[in-house]
Amino acid sequence: MKKLKKDEVELLLKKAYKCRQNILRMMKNAEGHIGGAFSSLDIITVLYNKILKHNPSEPKWPDRDRFILSAGHKCLALYTVLADQGYFDESILWTYGQFKTRVAMHPEEKLLPGVEFPTGSLGHGLPVGHGIALCAKLDKKNYKVFVMLGDGECQEGSIWEAAMSAGHYGTDNLIVILDRNGLQVNGPTEKIMNISPVEDKFKAFGWEVRTIDGHDYNQIYETLISTPFKKGKPSCIIAKTTKCKGLTFAEGEFQYHHWHCEPDKIDESLEIVKESLKKELERIK
Amino acid sequence: MNNLNNLNNLNKTAAGKTKSEEFSSKNEVIYDDPRKVFSEALVELGSKNSNVIYISCDSSLGASGGEFNKKFPDRHFEFGIAEQNAMGEAAGFATCGKIPFIAAYMPFVTFRCFEQIRDDICKTNLNVNIMGNNCGFSVSALGPTHTVLEDMAVIRSLPNITIFSPCDGPEYYQAVFSAAEIEGPVFIRIHRLKAKRIHSNGYKFICGKGEILKNGSDITVVTCSSMVAPTLEAAEILQRKGISIEVLNISTIKPIDKELILNSSAKTKKVVSVEEHSVIGGLGSAVADILIKENPVKMKMIGINDQFAVVGEYKDVIDYYGLTPQKIADAIDDFCR
Repeated sequence: MKKLKKDEVELLLKKAYKCRQNILRMMKNAEGHIGGAFSSLDIITVLYNKILKHNPSEPKWPDRDRFILSAGHKCLALYTVLADQGYFDESILWTYGQFKTRVAMHPEEKLLPGVEFPTGSLGHGLPVGHGIALCAKLDKKNYKVFVMLGDGECQEGSIWEAAMSAGHYGTDNLIVILDRNGLQVNGPTEKIMNISPVEDKFKAFGWEVRTIDGHDYNQIYETLISTPFKKGKPSCIIAKTTKCKGLTFAEGEFQYHHWHCEPDKIDESLEIVKESLKKELERIK
Repeated sequence: MNNLNNLNNLNKTAAGKTKSEEFSSKNEVIYDDPRKVFSEALVELGSKNSNVIYISCDSSLGASGGEFNKKFPDRHFEFGIAEQNAMGEAAGFATCGKIPFIAAYMPFVTFRCFEQIRDDICKTNLNVNIMGNNCGFSVSALGPTHTVLEDMAVIRSLPNITIFSPCDGPEYYQAVFSAAEIEGPVFIRIHRLKAKRIHSNGYKFICGKGEILKNGSDITVVTCSSMVAPTLEAAEILQRKGISIEVLNISTIKPIDKELILNSSAKTKKVVSVEEHSVIGGLGSAVADILIKENPVKMKMIGINDQFAVVGEYKDVIDYYGLTPQKIADAIDDFCR
């Protein structure tokens, strides 16, 4: 099994925490969905740095792997990673919250290079992603399609229509990553509308499923690099994550799904995130 | 690509003449099955353009996509009774340069997946072509769940989408080719009943263009789809009473032929719309939107007045709602007085 070297993990951690800090800086302008952005950031960082075949200077390269953020509200994570990858100048991030900003609170592909498909209304990204994956098969191309779902999003029926469809067609170039932080707007997912056992549900729909720690870089990498898990079956990764990971006072608190933050709290939060990075770097030594 | 001759070739009679030729020589009335014409057009289009794919929702036989499946099985995708997913899948294919035609019963391919049409197809302006089968009272015996009288109202509100409402075989056939050529989304309303052939050889369907089917001076009557033939008959009834109506066929509901409507209404000063659809948001509303801004004239809308459909056979339901030639003529006559 191919593993990440320690210095690679260190570099990825630094990148992900720089993105977390950039998100906080963007939020000086306006409120935002920080909780899901921070829970998904480690996975999205590994994806763009180590997994996806992509080319920031040619965002529409026909043979690229696709990443669709079906849970579009996590887009602060996507924006900061795309800027870090060079899809656009970092200065665009600082227009967040401004009139006609290109970094809207839900991603628009016509506004920003690197956004594969516009999302925001939940339950749309997986059907679209599966259509693209089937198209790759039709065109005899090798690209993969990665779709990130939120766990609250799995309450939408269209997710299961698409899951059934991918199981039916055995679309093995389709990979779902479920950001399983356990919280949605109004509280714990299990309390609002129980989606458990979500692993079994995907299995029952014909998917090959793995469950990982969504903040462990080696687990993320090893799992993503080994997709498809089984030839002829779509792959599902249940990534157990912590909402608002890295901002310790907000970790695991559903109230931070969407945070309207006072500007003076941002500086304090930046320091907390820096501390979290130090601890993570210590932990991997 | 708009090749009416293909349609005529498919309809060659034993004598070797096209049906249209026979029509012109014998004045014989020809009826086309819209679903069959759609199927033939799609196969022809698919053989010319390998990017064309067909998506069905357990609707491949009813929507007459079966022929496409036989000829191009790799390019036919069945997604079962799950229209939200099917519409999203169509959008996914279109992002990769494919030209999906997605067909299903009218309510399921419009209302059920309306947000997917809005967000994934219209907002993105993708070349996805939606075939709304069984418009109007096509399947009125199935009851109001399946009888959709609001599709134009709903779909017309969306930016970027083009809406075709063809009236006969040549229009259905060419609308399919036109839809593929338009880069954004297209919605085509398909009736189930056999359509009386209105157009002869040489007719060219053009997106956004209506046509004068009968010249007249007293009143402009705007219609589309299944109501074109009965409106032409109503015109003959009225002609005998000395009322001269100008009949406009508006086969593109959006973008609508504003110039044609304004020119005709400037002449007649009176407009009536006739449609197998709710008067809220349909063809009449689209016409009124233009007239109220640019040439406010007296107007009447003949259609269904804010109701869900009664259950019954087509001829009985049409009669009940006043959409037979005689009742259309009577309503126009009343309006003129």
